[in-house]
Amino acid sequence: MPKELLMVENLQVWFPVRRGFVESLTSKEQRFVRAVDGVSFNIKEREIFCLVGESGCGKTTTGKAILRLVEPTGGNVRYYGTGLNAAMIKEAIQRAVSKKLMSKAEAEEALSTGAIDVRKLPKDKMKMLRQKMQMIFQDPYESLNPKQSIYDIVAEPLVVNNLGANEADREKRVAKALDDAGLRPPKHFMWRYPHEVSGGQRQRVGIAGALVLEPAFLVADEPVSMLDVSIRSEILKLMLDLRDKKGLTYLFITHDLSVAYVFSDRIGIMYLGKIVELGPTEEVIKKPMHPYTKALISVVPKPDPRMKTEKIILKGERPDPAHIPPGCRFHPRCPYAMEKCKVEEPDAIYVSQEHWVSCWLAAGEGKTE
Amino acid sequence: MALLEVDGLKTYFKTQEGTLKAVDGISFNLEKGQAMGLAGESGCGKTTAALSIMKLLPANGFLAGGMINFMGQDMSKVTGDKLRAIRWRDISIIFQGAMNALNPVKRVGDQIVEPILLHEKVDEEVALKRVKELFELVGINPNRIREYPHEFSGGMRQRVMIAMALACRPKLVICDEPTTALDVMIQAQILQLLKNLQQELELAMIIISHDLSVLAETCDLLSIMYAGKIVERASAVEVFSNPQHPYTKGLIAAFPNIKGERKMPASIAGNPPNLINPPVGCRFAERCYMTQDVCRQEEPPLVEVLPGHFAACHFVKPMGV
Repeated sequence: MPKELLMVENLQVWFPVRRGFVESLTSKEQRFVRAVDGVSFNIKEREIFCLVGESGCGKTTTGKAILRLVEPTGGNVRYYGTGLNAAMIKEAIQRAVSKKLMSKAEAEEALSTGAIDVRKLPKDKMKMLRQKMQMIFQDPYESLNPKQSIYDIVAEPLVVNNLGANEADREKRVAKALDDAGLRPPKHFMWRYPHEVSGGQRQRVGIAGALVLEPAFLVADEPVSMLDVSIRSEILKLMLDLRDKKGLTYLFITHDLSVAYVFSDRIGIMYLGKIVELGPTEEVIKKPMHPYTKALISVVPKPDPRMKTEKIILKGERPDPAHIPPGCRFHPRCPYAMEKCKVEEPDAIYVSQEHWVSCWLAAGEGKTE
Repeated sequence: MALLEVDGLKTYFKTQEGTLKAVDGISFNLEKGQAMGLAGESGCGKTTAALSIMKLLPANGFLAGGMINFMGQDMSKVTGDKLRAIRWRDISIIFQGAMNALNPVKRVGDQIVEPILLHEKVDEEVALKRVKELFELVGINPNRIREYPHEFSGGMRQRVMIAMALACRPKLVICDEPTTALDVMIQAQILQLLKNLQQELELAMIIISHDLSVLAETCDLLSIMYAGKIVERASAVEVFSNPQHPYTKGLIAAFPNIKGERKMPASIAGNPPNLINPPVGCRFAERCYMTQDVCRQEEPPLVEVLPGHFAACHFVKPMGV
């Protein structure tokens, strides 16, 4: 049984809506954009967990909140210490207690389970944790500084974290990271600038920048969506290789269900700040339970004109996360919405051991057809 | 006679490093009411080909050869007022990243009225009425014509762009990556809209995309471009069911299929060649799995493999041989 690596419980990221002067005087209630509104999942070691959803559903914010690149406003993120040694965990927890971010009881529990509560770490210890939790960004054309050489870009995390004994040691680590990312020979790429390499190679530079700290967990935010189709699978294969060789674990964020289908072990479908269906990839794609999942799968373009399939095209666009509808948040666009859906939010219902869905239909209410 | 005939079109760019052969001898015909897909990797010249047809090339680009015949007129000779009369009236274009192609400080209705007033002798009232009809056609509430672009979402802005492209009832619409920046659900809505409009209005369409699966859903004909050349051309069904060129086969294999087996798609190793000094011989030779000496020495001609199915590879059998 593989070990847990990360546990996300009821994670919330709410952004306050800025109020105008008059509005603040009339003391209207503070409104929030509920970008992430109660997301729970866990990731095991060496697993690829995929979050899928339309833009604005909160999938990227979830990824960033786990690394505390945006501050979560509620919920828990527990990291089970993969890649960290006991002394480091102890030091981090003591620091959190002395800064009064964690109570004594919580600290004792954390020490006994070895799980670090990401939300309760002080900022400087978060840096230590981030060495083991890194991110790969979406757009390799914009996420690399055009004025820095590839060496500078990849070595920056080492500089920031004060790692590497000397320049020669850093160069060795950078060369290793470039080699791991498939930029071979590293010497050939190290002193070039981002504009001198192709799009696929740029994304490899981004991956090398994440690998240089030797992380255990990577958040990959749409790493292939900006790349040409012909080189996409090269990058995906590289990521799979890295998992096999280095035992990496991924949270993979994408809007493209067909990529999620071939790449991930488990999928969570997000809609408007919440996961509506979660389960093993094969099961979710072949036997979707939630009407939203069914619709998403039906509109993925098939690379074959002979395959004419029925499409469920949802009307309208996703609603605004500042005005989340009551009841099931999908009900205004759901073709099967019933009275109950408008008032009561459905809980997660397990349809098999690892596959759950939050929909009243799955609870046996109403009829699908 | 075909609506649009492109024969041996060559579009080059003058750059500091030399002449860049972005489009290097492509030919195709398009009939009224047909939709053709132009597919290929970024930098293969598909957008340049489209811009050449509308003569919208940047200052350093020029037509180096070939012929574009649109409705019996040789486009290379049409200039000035005559050209302006054809643009948008007979041929219109939906630009890549259309979501950002609208003027942010003008009401959307006014932006669409503008080409109508320019091209037709009608007063503003008639033009506004037309805009309302167009909005209805593309599925936007006609009462929204006085709104500004920022009040529309991405998908809605794309619909505005489509309405604008249809403003003067053109015969040919060029769509450059019409759904690239959009979500899957919105993409499905827009593709369905384009397909319905194309059939309803008997439009000829050229859809440019790097995404073969998008073209598979919308086009009758398909041309696959690689490094400035068309390497395969046939009906969409033919291309997918019986691909001939190794590049086409590679492209098709590169797509994950959600209805198919769960396996990692294949990739095409390597990069496209530099188009300032393109290699002699087949341009795909460096990345091809079946390359032999002949590929590096001689350029393969585009030959007819089956009726209406053309491919440019040394190893395809021409029809009747």
